[in-house]
Amino acid sequence: MKRLLLIFLFFAFWMVPLLAVAEESYTFDPAETEKKPYHVGGYFEFKPILYGLNHDSAFYKVRFFNDPRGQNLLEANGRIQLEGSYEKNIFRIYAKTNTDLKSSYSGESERSTFYEFYGSVKPSSNLKFDVGKKTMKWGKGYAWNPVAFVDRPKDPDDPETGMEGYMLATADYIKSMDGPLKTFSFTPVLFPVYDHVNDTFGNNYKLNVAGRFYFLLYDTDIDLLFMTGGSRTDRYGVDFSRNISTSFEVHGELAYVRNFQKNVLDINGHPYPVEGDAVSYVIGIRHLTTFDLTTIIEYYHNGMGFSGDDMKNYYGYITRGYDTYQTTGNAIALGNAQQMAEGSYGRASAMENYLYVRFSQKEPFDILYFTPSITGMMNTDDQSWSLTPELLYTGITNWEFRLRTGIIAGARNSDFGEKQNDYRIELRVGYYF
Amino acid sequence: MSSAKAHNLRENNMIKKLLLICLLIVPVACPAFAEDGKALLGQVDRNLNPESYESYRKLINIEPSGAKKEFTLFTVKKGIDKVASLFLAPASEKGRSTLRLGDNMWLYIPNIGKPIRITSLQSVVGGVFNNADILQLDYTAEYNVEKVEEKGTQYLLYLKAKTKSVAYDKLKIWADKDKNLPTKIECLTEAKMLIKTLYFKDVKDFGGGIVRPAVIETDSPLYKGYKSVMILAKIKEKTFKDEAFTLTFMPNLESLR
Repeated sequence: MKRLLLIFLFFAFWMVPLLAVAEESYTFDPAETEKKPYHVGGYFEFKPILYGLNHDSAFYKVRFFNDPRGQNLLEANGRIQLEGSYEKNIFRIYAKTNTDLKSSYSGESERSTFYEFYGSVKPSSNLKFDVGKKTMKWGKGYAWNPVAFVDRPKDPDDPETGMEGYMLATADYIKSMDGPLKTFSFTPVLFPVYDHVNDTFGNNYKLNVAGRFYFLLYDTDIDLLFMTGGSRTDRYGVDFSRNISTSFEVHGELAYVRNFQKNVLDINGHPYPVEGDAVSYVIGIRHLTTFDLTTIIEYYHNGMGFSGDDMKNYYGYITRGYDTYQTTGNAIALGNAQQMAEGSYGRASAMENYLYVRFSQKEPFDILYFTPSITGMMNTDDQSWSLTPELLYTGITNWEFRLRTGIIAGARNSDFGEKQNDYRIELRVGYYF
Repeated sequence: MSSAKAHNLRENNMIKKLLLICLLIVPVACPAFAEDGKALLGQVDRNLNPESYESYRKLINIEPSGAKKEFTLFTVKKGIDKVASLFLAPASEKGRSTLRLGDNMWLYIPNIGKPIRITSLQSVVGGVFNNADILQLDYTAEYNVEKVEEKGTQYLLYLKAKTKSVAYDKLKIWADKDKNLPTKIECLTEAKMLIKTLYFKDVKDFGGGIVRPAVIETDSPLYKGYKSVMILAKIKEKTFKDEAFTLTFMPNLESLR
């Protein structure tokens, strides 16, 4: 924790002279517009979080059964992202690293990786090839993207955070036209899964093929998407986005996954496989009022998610395992439950039906660059929910300050009711350079 | 009939005749007037910028306290309805790009990684300039001229939006008669409520025959005490392929520089 604070103070102290410069009178030197062949930049973040623990919840028991904590848990997180690019003629190379630092009750940890690292060739304005590690970010949904077949799952709690990419080879072919079809583009993707190459994605030793066809047709964005190849079962998707008026947008996604398999627990805690075709979809709107209130509403059906009974069986398995541990010290069941929590049972939006509502008011009371917002997410099957009020200020050039609180509520055996925390308070201070 | 009554009758007949003449003249004169206004507005458009161009601009938001925030943009435009902008600075915005195709607008944020639809009344930079101001199309593309008045050394053009999707329903443009360049524009709602005023200043020769104001200041009764300034550093005529104005191309706008 001290180390993280020291790093933050060092950066803050170093940047103060730059803040003073930002207050000087403006000029526009044409030299500022000169293009350089290289670019170097980055982002630094300090994020302390206070968790209010729910000692009766299933996920608290799984995580802390052999190391019980008090009512609260303080954690300090840091993040350093560096990015650089070099461009010459039709060639470009781009890299973005990410280092996550964490200081909590269990000690300090650090994980560094390349989020992206790829080379590009652009022989013409309508054709581009990329090879390397890259994020594709397919889909139109804000909180969820069931058609993002070649991306890691998005965190609906923080959908705008940068994500780690996958190793792949891709191309973009673009064609513009007059008439109702204004734009067509095709993005094929070769997606290898081998030892040390995307090996957490799915079945090994497969070369997968994915693709996206994009159309701007009658002022509507439409994508047709697919992925096949064996690492995961074949899947097909479609998405759309359209402005109904200048202040009202609608969007949606639909994914069809063939022969999807998942392992679930029966009432006695025995795992068994479930296989079948699955359909997931998102439908949503984005609306802006004349007084700058933006509303985002999305409904998500996760056809690959767990049903209420599946989750009840899992929570029951944890409860029995916890009781066994308390009486005998045998932690085998809880160890298994921990593994399942790290897999599909513990991921965000693991169940079937969710509603997401976000209101953000831009610059209320004439406070420039200040955006308060409130986000609610509900599991519509069990009516458990989370509510996240947030204050964001970006008034100091290159700095971003965000204070948010997360309140979680739900009955026993419900999605949010069995989360590790009852609430959390989080401050994020970010600096771009 | 008394002489006073006879006089009144003659007067009434005269007024009726005058009204009739006016009614006959107005429908004939208005289209010509509108045509003149349209041509005048077209000249204002072409004097402000070529139909297809690239430019470098700086936007500065100034708060009542004097605090400033600056954004540097590279902008490309093609034809009447295609505009794209790339943020070059500050570091927190670098790499963001915006695209406008007619009434459609998108914002690409590198972290989010895909273009999201935005609206003309929102502002990607905060402050008084909104997205329609930043991704400005030709005035003739979005407005009809309702009326032109002469005000000393200036024309005053009254504009009405062609469709409901245009950011401002009405514009009043004061344009210099000699240079055919705007000096002031008032942006109004359908109910004639003033949303903002743009002031065009510092006429400068940018080369290639482009002589236009280098500074546009704006204030708004909706943002009392706040001011935003747009400074043009470079502008030159240039054409781009249509493919540069597509969602797929948004992450690659830098390659056009």
